[in-house]
Amino acid sequence: MNTKLKVSEISKIYPGCIANDKVSLEFESGKIYALLGENGAGKSTLVKILSGVVKPDEGKVFLNNKSIKLNSPLDAKKNNIGMVFQHFNLFETLSVFENLSIDSNKTNEDLRVLVNDILKKYNFKIDLDIPVLNLSAGQKQKVEIIRCLIRNPKVLIMDEPTSVLTEQETDDLFISLKQFSNEGILIIYITHKLKEVLSLCDEVAVMRKGKVVSVSNTIDEKIESLANKMVGESLNTIKKKINNFKDSEEILKISNLNFESDDPYETNLIDLNFSLKKGECLGIAGISGNGQSELFQILSGEIITEDTSIMFRNKEISKLNPRERRDYLMAFSPEDRISQAAVPELKIYENVALNNFKSSNFFEKGLVNEKKIKDHTQKILSNFSVNTDNVELKSQFLSGGNLQKLIIGRELITSPELLVCFNPTWGLDVGAINYIHENLININQQGKSSILISTDNDELLKLSDRVCVIYKGKLSKIMNAENVTPEKLGILMGGGSID
Amino acid sequence: MEVQLIKIEKRNDVSRSIYLLTPILAIFLTLFGGGIIFFALGFNPIEALKFFFITPISDLYGLSELLLKATPLCLIAIGLSFCFKSNNWNIGAEGQLIFGGIVGGGVALLFYNHDGFYVLPIIIVSGAVGGMVFAMIPAILKTFFNTNEILVSLMLVYVAKLLLDYLVVGPWSNPEGFNFPETRQFSASARMPILFDGLRIHAGIFITLVTVFLSWIILYKTYLGFQIKVSGLSLKTANYAGYKGKIMIIIVFMISGACAGIAGVGEITGPIGQLHRNISPDYGFTAIIVAFLGRLNPVGIIFASLIVALTYLGAETAQIFLQIPKYTGQVFQGMILFFLLASDYLLFFKIKFLGLKKNDI
Repeated sequence: MNTKLKVSEISKIYPGCIANDKVSLEFESGKIYALLGENGAGKSTLVKILSGVVKPDEGKVFLNNKSIKLNSPLDAKKNNIGMVFQHFNLFETLSVFENLSIDSNKTNEDLRVLVNDILKKYNFKIDLDIPVLNLSAGQKQKVEIIRCLIRNPKVLIMDEPTSVLTEQETDDLFISLKQFSNEGILIIYITHKLKEVLSLCDEVAVMRKGKVVSVSNTIDEKIESLANKMVGESLNTIKKKINNFKDSEEILKISNLNFESDDPYETNLIDLNFSLKKGECLGIAGISGNGQSELFQILSGEIITEDTSIMFRNKEISKLNPRERRDYLMAFSPEDRISQAAVPELKIYENVALNNFKSSNFFEKGLVNEKKIKDHTQKILSNFSVNTDNVELKSQFLSGGNLQKLIIGRELITSPELLVCFNPTWGLDVGAINYIHENLININQQGKSSILISTDNDELLKLSDRVCVIYKGKLSKIMNAENVTPEKLGILMGGGSID
Repeated sequence: MEVQLIKIEKRNDVSRSIYLLTPILAIFLTLFGGGIIFFALGFNPIEALKFFFITPISDLYGLSELLLKATPLCLIAIGLSFCFKSNNWNIGAEGQLIFGGIVGGGVALLFYNHDGFYVLPIIIVSGAVGGMVFAMIPAILKTFFNTNEILVSLMLVYVAKLLLDYLVVGPWSNPEGFNFPETRQFSASARMPILFDGLRIHAGIFITLVTVFLSWIILYKTYLGFQIKVSGLSLKTANYAGYKGKIMIIIVFMISGACAGIAGVGEITGPIGQLHRNISPDYGFTAIIVAFLGRLNPVGIIFASLIVALTYLGAETAQIFLQIPKYTGQVFQGMILFFLLASDYLLFFKIKFLGLKKNDI
């Protein structure tokens, strides 16, 4: 039987962020659909709505032309919508079979027969009686898939399934997915990996900033065209005046940066080398999850790596922690402004005190100088037009834009020599974006340098003097921003090469 | 039929008044729960509660006993608040208390025929160091080997208890003690000065009060306190701010261990006057309840320690007058913690009454 799934005018608004803005999409069984988009584009929210985890503010979901209510994950299960999340939901110490039987209402004997049939049919090789912790990531994923298959799903949603898989496991997964699709299961495949979309899927819907920006057949698409749709094409952006840095002083030199992580969800960095001149802005583009977060943490000193050399104004700083690096006038604005750059439960002035630059001297002889911190905070609030003058307000009451202004203000008010920022305008409204962009341009004009790690190509091309792309933990060559087109970036972001 | 509709909503902000009121609510619920238990046991609940909570402190001796029991509870809880505020779960204060007692007691035994003003301070300091060292074991294992501090600190309690057992039965037992499992009596200069004749309350209370004051300064007025607060709220942020997380873990455990160690010394040089098997009626565990009932706030902890100390006294009176086991005290302590955790639900959620609605069914 044919399965049709339709979402109609779905909207979901979180405070300060429109996660889904009137999203309408139609899916039909027999095809594999890709839902493509950056982190924060709204695809996870849409998927959570389809799996009953999140309730939409507006809009409806239709299954075979019948409107269905998805108030809980249980409703999704009742409607035969199966979901495999990126992070596995398995009990590591229980056996595979115990994990499968937890949410099954079948008797153990029936279930075992059924599971063995599934294993045989799809050629999965998994020992049902060993604990899940002994399985590889690919096998754990198969357990999750089996858990869905037990319920005869009409729709199977896969959320970033290949992020922890090896290439061989990825190939196996694709074979299975194609087999499911041939058997009439509607498959929705969520990813930000462009190559996978082209090799696996029939149709692709691209989401950006909460909206569906395009729906097309994958046959008509190339890696670059998808990349551009995903991160936004550069439309007449006014580039800032590019300076000639040939004779400027070199302020930062990174050599031999390597990072190997124990965590399979992190990306390893391979042999990064670059340098930065006084007054220059270096943009680092890339699709998220290619090592940006790891690179940021190494630059900020949250991760200390062996053998890497970071020379900042001719001093070796690679072994210093973030606070010590601030003494050398480096400033950092991380991507996660809500849970990392600031603590929502703390008052504004306490959040300002987090980053104690030497010149601000918030803590004399180990004691808190509350007055100094509050005066300093007052200055940030007015200089960076944060929409409050109450330093005692808890930061959780600031909108995203105001919080980001506060953070950027905190970093910039001591005029650091280098600002490293990571997606500084992510999720903000246009006004706040422009304000932050102005500030970032300003610091370069004052002879201060910046590194802009961003997944927004518009932003990168607007603000950077030189640009490079990070892909699977490796940096492309560094190009002058004026010679770079969105197409070129698109090719590099998808793992291709130019010239 | 009409029904009252109730909606439970998440609060946007935790209001300060509710934050301070829930512990009081928890205490009232405990009294109520206790009343029900007494009723089920066949007592008049009001009378029984009176025996439990009023009689013990209706005379000067009772008040002195209350302060005597509150002194170690408050001291240990203050130390624990450093750990808990920074998300370090030190469950082993009982072990740190005992080990501090062992070290302090050992020093006291060394000086058993010495007199001098210097004896007591040396004992107190060595007890503090003992507790500190013992608390550093889980801290160091956590920072360098990623072990779980809850398990390690808890299990070390039994190590300390067995060590004490061994010492008082074996090498340290009183040579003139007819093989009773206890050491010699400490010399007079090794004892905490008694504040009032005929009452057991001793100078240890001043150590506790000074510690409360110092910890208030450290927690709210120093960089270290700020770092502890930030690390407790978000480790990610603390890491980003560049706080030395590992050293901080060790520092908070050291503070906590030192407080427990001094509490142990206070017991053996105060009311007990020697080492024996039971130098603490689980003060180290009960102090965890005190710390949370006091909202990890130094002033709150003072009040909480008085209330919890009362459950110890009440249990003893109830045993005498009502012939019920003194373990009822632990039942009350358990209820306080239970109701406190339950009423904390109100911190994050509010209950809305939406009015009456016709029920169609």
